[in-house]
Amino acid sequence: MAELNIKQLKKTYSGDILAMDDISITIKSGMFGLLGPNGAGKSTLMRTIATLQKPDSGTINFNDINVLESPKEFRSQLGYLPQEFGVYPRITAEQLLNHLATLKGINSKNERKELVDYLLERTNLYDKKNKSVKGFSGGMKQRIGIAQALIGNPKILIVDEPTAGLDPGERNRFYDLLSDVGKDVIVILSTHIVDDVRELCTEMAIMDFGKIVFQGKPQDGISELDGKVFEKHIKKIELEKYKKEFNVISNRLIGGNPIIHVLAEKADKTFKKIEPTLEDVFFSKLSKNKI
Amino acid sequence: MFNSFLKSELKYTLKQPMVYLFFLIVFILSFAATSSDNVTIGGSIGNVKRNAPHIISVFTSTLTIFGLLFAAAFFNNAALRDFKYNFNEILFATPIEKFGYFFGRFTGALIISTIPILGVFFGISLGSTLSPVFGWISEDRFGPIQIQSFISNYLVFVLPNMFISGTIIYALAQQFKNSIVSFVGALIIIVAYSISGELVSDLENEKLAALADIFGIRTYGLISKYYTPIEKNSINPSYSGLMLLNRVIWLSLSLVILITSYFNFNFVKKKIRRLIRVKSSKTEIKKNLPLPSISLIKENLVTQFLTFYSINFKNIYRHVTFKILFLFSFILLLTDLISGYEYFGLKSYPLTYRMTDSISGTYLFVMIILVFFSGELVWRDRDEKINEVIDSTPHNSMISLLSKTISLFSLTIILHTFFVFCAIVFQLIKGFNDIQPSVYFWDFIYRAMPLYLLFCSSSIAVQVIVNNKYFGYLISVVLILVIDIILLLADIESNMLSFGSTPFLIYSDMNGFGPSEKGVFWFNLYWIFTGLMLLIFSSNLWDRGTNNRFKDRFKFQKENLSKKVVLPSALIGICWLIITGYVYYNTQILNPYKKSKELEKLAVEYENKYKKYKSLPLPKILNAEYKIDLYPYQKKIDVLAEIIMTNSKNIEIDTIIVGTQKTWQEKIIFEGASLLSEDKKHNVQFYLFNPPLKLGDTIKVIIENKFETKGFSNSGESTRIVKNGTFLNNYEILPSLGYNSEKELSDINKRKKYKLPPKERMPKLKSNCKDDCTKNYLTQGLSDFINVESIISTSKDQIAIAPGSLIDSWEENNRNYFKYKVDHPSQNFYSFISADYKVERKKWNDVDIEIYYDKKHSVNINKMVKAVERSLDYYTKNFGPYTHKQCRIIEFPRFSTFAQAFPGTMPYSEAFGFVINLENEEKNNVIDAVIAHEIAHQWWAHQLVGANMQGATLLSESFSEYSSLMTMKSIAKTPMAMREFIKYDHDRYLRGRSGEVEKELPLFKVENQSYIHYGKGSVILFALQDYIGEDKVNEALKEFLDKYKYSNYYPTSLDFLNVLEKKVPDSLNYLIDDWFKEITIYDNRLKTAEAKKLENGKYEISLEIESRKFRADSIGNEKSVPLDEWVDIGFFADGDEKELISQKRIKIAENTSMLSFQLDTLPVKAAIDPRHILIDKVYSDNIKTININ
Repeated sequence: MAELNIKQLKKTYSGDILAMDDISITIKSGMFGLLGPNGAGKSTLMRTIATLQKPDSGTINFNDINVLESPKEFRSQLGYLPQEFGVYPRITAEQLLNHLATLKGINSKNERKELVDYLLERTNLYDKKNKSVKGFSGGMKQRIGIAQALIGNPKILIVDEPTAGLDPGERNRFYDLLSDVGKDVIVILSTHIVDDVRELCTEMAIMDFGKIVFQGKPQDGISELDGKVFEKHIKKIELEKYKKEFNVISNRLIGGNPIIHVLAEKADKTFKKIEPTLEDVFFSKLSKNKI
Repeated sequence: MFNSFLKSELKYTLKQPMVYLFFLIVFILSFAATSSDNVTIGGSIGNVKRNAPHIISVFTSTLTIFGLLFAAAFFNNAALRDFKYNFNEILFATPIEKFGYFFGRFTGALIISTIPILGVFFGISLGSTLSPVFGWISEDRFGPIQIQSFISNYLVFVLPNMFISGTIIYALAQQFKNSIVSFVGALIIIVAYSISGELVSDLENEKLAALADIFGIRTYGLISKYYTPIEKNSINPSYSGLMLLNRVIWLSLSLVILITSYFNFNFVKKKIRRLIRVKSSKTEIKKNLPLPSISLIKENLVTQFLTFYSINFKNIYRHVTFKILFLFSFILLLTDLISGYEYFGLKSYPLTYRMTDSISGTYLFVMIILVFFSGELVWRDRDEKINEVIDSTPHNSMISLLSKTISLFSLTIILHTFFVFCAIVFQLIKGFNDIQPSVYFWDFIYRAMPLYLLFCSSSIAVQVIVNNKYFGYLISVVLILVIDIILLLADIESNMLSFGSTPFLIYSDMNGFGPSEKGVFWFNLYWIFTGLMLLIFSSNLWDRGTNNRFKDRFKFQKENLSKKVVLPSALIGICWLIITGYVYYNTQILNPYKKSKELEKLAVEYENKYKKYKSLPLPKILNAEYKIDLYPYQKKIDVLAEIIMTNSKNIEIDTIIVGTQKTWQEKIIFEGASLLSEDKKHNVQFYLFNPPLKLGDTIKVIIENKFETKGFSNSGESTRIVKNGTFLNNYEILPSLGYNSEKELSDINKRKKYKLPPKERMPKLKSNCKDDCTKNYLTQGLSDFINVESIISTSKDQIAIAPGSLIDSWEENNRNYFKYKVDHPSQNFYSFISADYKVERKKWNDVDIEIYYDKKHSVNINKMVKAVERSLDYYTKNFGPYTHKQCRIIEFPRFSTFAQAFPGTMPYSEAFGFVINLENEEKNNVIDAVIAHEIAHQWWAHQLVGANMQGATLLSESFSEYSSLMTMKSIAKTPMAMREFIKYDHDRYLRGRSGEVEKELPLFKVENQSYIHYGKGSVILFALQDYIGEDKVNEALKEFLDKYKYSNYYPTSLDFLNVLEKKVPDSLNYLIDDWFKEITIYDNRLKTAEAKKLENGKYEISLEIESRKFRADSIGNEKSVPLDEWVDIGFFADGDEKELISQKRIKIAENTSMLSFQLDTLPVKAAIDPRHILIDKVYSDNIKTININ
């Protein structure tokens, strides 16, 4: 059972933007979803774990490796797919994977070839292996991305917003790949899409303004809200009024008029009690923080 | 719309720091150059003020080359900003007007890009105001600050040059929407500029080069070529003549480009996509494939290096920019190989060392390519957004940087190999088969490789440390181009700090890579290791990851050090320390040197302390015997000299002052005298005679002198004592006698700074000279004509040569010994030479003609022998007998390029005749000219030599030039042939007076000024024989020689003019005043030339002539004087001015005159002074094609 232990991570960017505000979290093998709105500090946390950025203070331990002190040891067990994954121009899929495999320390040429072929096969890109990666579509590029992250059987896999910009089909294919990773591996998936976490993750955390505002199993979050989420169709002009009077956790338009979700112990009849979703958990955690 | 785009462009750019940064750099550079004594720009020497209009023009126009960088930055930005931020789609969706957008942006960029160069004006103004106030430089070195100069320069150079380069860059940017293409555009301009420069190397092409110059720099150079100091201080550049033409050509060309680009411009144009889309595959992901086994995941630095290397290398060589730059360097090399003449329109054979010299012309360009790609390589991962993936792999950062460096270096190897290939092909095409692969190879090892390795690693290191691509470029460019200026300002001369510098290395066929080879080797090693150290250092600062702060960057890498890297790094560090120590020990401790500032101060101290002994009487040398042992391979020499001296004056001599040489170990024993005191700082010794020497007393001096080369030095070893081709004269191997005024500072402004009175270049010409005429200018009174005997030994494979006839030669101790004795007492001025020679011998009457040459250089030997014979024939017939038994021409290595005449012996540089290609030359050539000149010195200098006063070199140098011209005239086939030669003399004179630092003097008072005694002397004497007849001039010379040869009374130029005047008819007497005693310049021009056919079948040709004559003073103020001249009018049958069909000498007394001539045939061209014998600054307007009515 692998374990990643993060303690009291802090990071302030120039100015005084707190990107990580005293983050402590323990992650065990399995899929872990890190949910948060844009700018919450997810990428900073991901990069920090991936040894690409130094925190101002705090520690990270992976099993018995002190990640910040011995980054190299950690890197050899790490697979990382960053939010933005670009590729060199004029280089084929096979060349790229081969290059990265070498850098990850797979020194035997034959083994490297076997591994690259395997990964290309798995990501169903084998027939494109001599094509320039630059010309790949977003989904294919992401598949190459996950293929490179899988090189060398990593013990920990970090994927940062992997499905942004993918069509639903590609997104599913991507998650198929991801869910097929070994059982002992920690997979950290950062995303702002609630469905991603719901579908894949056993454990999750919600991050906002550099803080972890929720941590636990998705179902725990939902249970916490059981019976406390109400829904109501209102008119557009009433929105401000409701916002003042109730704890409105979300609103979306249907047919031009908003439906609001309100978090409350109870509500009058004009409201309809609903089964809370993970989305409600997400928004409720955020809105708490906003006040 | 135009206005709003213009305004927004200005507003946007003025908010960016770039324009101010550029301005500041230019400002500081100009300020420093104006106010620091260590730097002189554009020839602001002598009487030319440091802020003279000419200086401002040279500086401004040259800086506009750097302006390309500004143009590239601002115009590119103006064109591409919207695209860069993907704003184009928003902006272009609004209803904006094409004209306003296109030209508004353009005009904004144009205005902005001229701002940095304004720094020149502010820098120079502030420099000229502050320098006198703070006493950096004295007030009289500055003229008034002329606003007009700034305005003219802005209008003639800054604005048009920015417009031209800006247009090209802007058009490229608009067309390709790619910064790299704009960058390449800037490089195209630089290359075009360099190529047009290749054209200037000969007078023939000057005009073409001036017009082809995109910046107008060489145009200005040509216009101001003959400017006198006074003109340099007063004339501002203007739109006229050649400059106007140049500007019109380039401005209209760029206007065409701009307009074309405008019509081509289209708002909706998208980036051209070359990307091939790969069709998506959407089949389902395969699950449950068996995972292949991996035996071991282990760090292997070699495989890491190789995979990085192959990726980097592919990236560079597939880069379009690389291909384009490759092509440019090739063009650059090719133009250098093809064009350019060395001497009088002739070229050398394509020897391998010439080829490598041409290749070295591409170094700078290659280094710029390096700098560009260093940025590309360091930033590529981040630019392509793959950095996070790469950085999170467990690779080693140092290996990553090393692979970038080595990929860059591979690129230079490819380029260099290609250039060598081109050079060899060029040699073969020229039919030259003696290709020396080893020279190509070692030249690469010694010169190119270390430089490239250093700059590969340093520019990578700079990019890493600075962590900003463009700022990194700037720093790297500073390291390449500006560091020497900075060191100069800081008064640092050690090559160890001047990035990539080594002692000077020059290859010679005779002597290989020369005496500095060892020093260069160690310096190279030092630089290569310094590069590695920089790389190691920078790898600890490598920004691995994202946006880490400086202190974070450092922490990160500490953790990343692995044993495999620490050990080699430590080893490199130790090697670096040892090498640095060794180079330091050799260049600073074993061979210490004085900085030029210190030397200056020493010279001042020496003068202040010892000048009072200047008039101390000295004994004269009567006889000298030498025993010299040369050890060429050890670069060592032992001299034992026995000098007999006598007191020739009726004054008792009790003390004499001797100047020793610091680099020699000297032991001096004066018979009858003892060492009184010694000043080691200034290398001065005093000897006391007890009893004092009386008139006629004779003493013997024994001098033991040893020279030894120890290690290597900062600036390189002596090129005089070398393994093959040692060449020393008697002054170099002996201490000097008396106060040595040659040690004094000569620069007039430096003397002023140290409060020294102006130095007399030469004593004033006196008509009644008495005692002053007992000293000649060669030996300055220390001897007259003396006897010399030498025994000289050298290594077994070499021949050693001393003055006089070879009496005996033998072998002893496995060394060659030679004994020489002069046949006729001669001046105390001779050389000792040793090399592995072949000898060509021929008898001419009783004289042995001997040519000592390197076995590789036999090709022109026969021509040389002929030239010697021709000279001896002419001179013995016209001037008198030759007084030596041998006439030797001796080749010496090409460390310097000159020929020199010692009695009977004429050393002649390897580079200057022995390797010149004369296969298709029927006419006179540089070999004939130089040999004839040196042989003429056997009469003019060695038989008759001028007294030590103004005008002395007229009697040696000008007469020898004249003699040489006459031997050439004797075989010239047409009257026009000589014009081809004389034009170089005209140019030499006019150019020389333009660079005069003190004052120009009339010919008869020449103060050893080469442009006067060679350039003007030959023009005047050639014209004189044309006007009064060759025989008359020769008669005068012979009479003069007979009267004074080998006499202890040394004549003056006045003595010569006395003889000459009798040979000049009264009608031409004015020539002596005009040509010898005054500075006279003619300005003749042919305004119109019309021909009309007459009834008798003849042609009447009417000419309108404008004629002026000027007297100039010593700094170039000219005033018009009345005319009463004989001038030639001639007609050419052909457009090439080869066939002169008619020539008439007429008298001209008016500034404008109408003349008419009747000719039998119709000529093509008419000319005033058709053979160019009068000094005229603009000769081209003397000739006109005739219009037929």
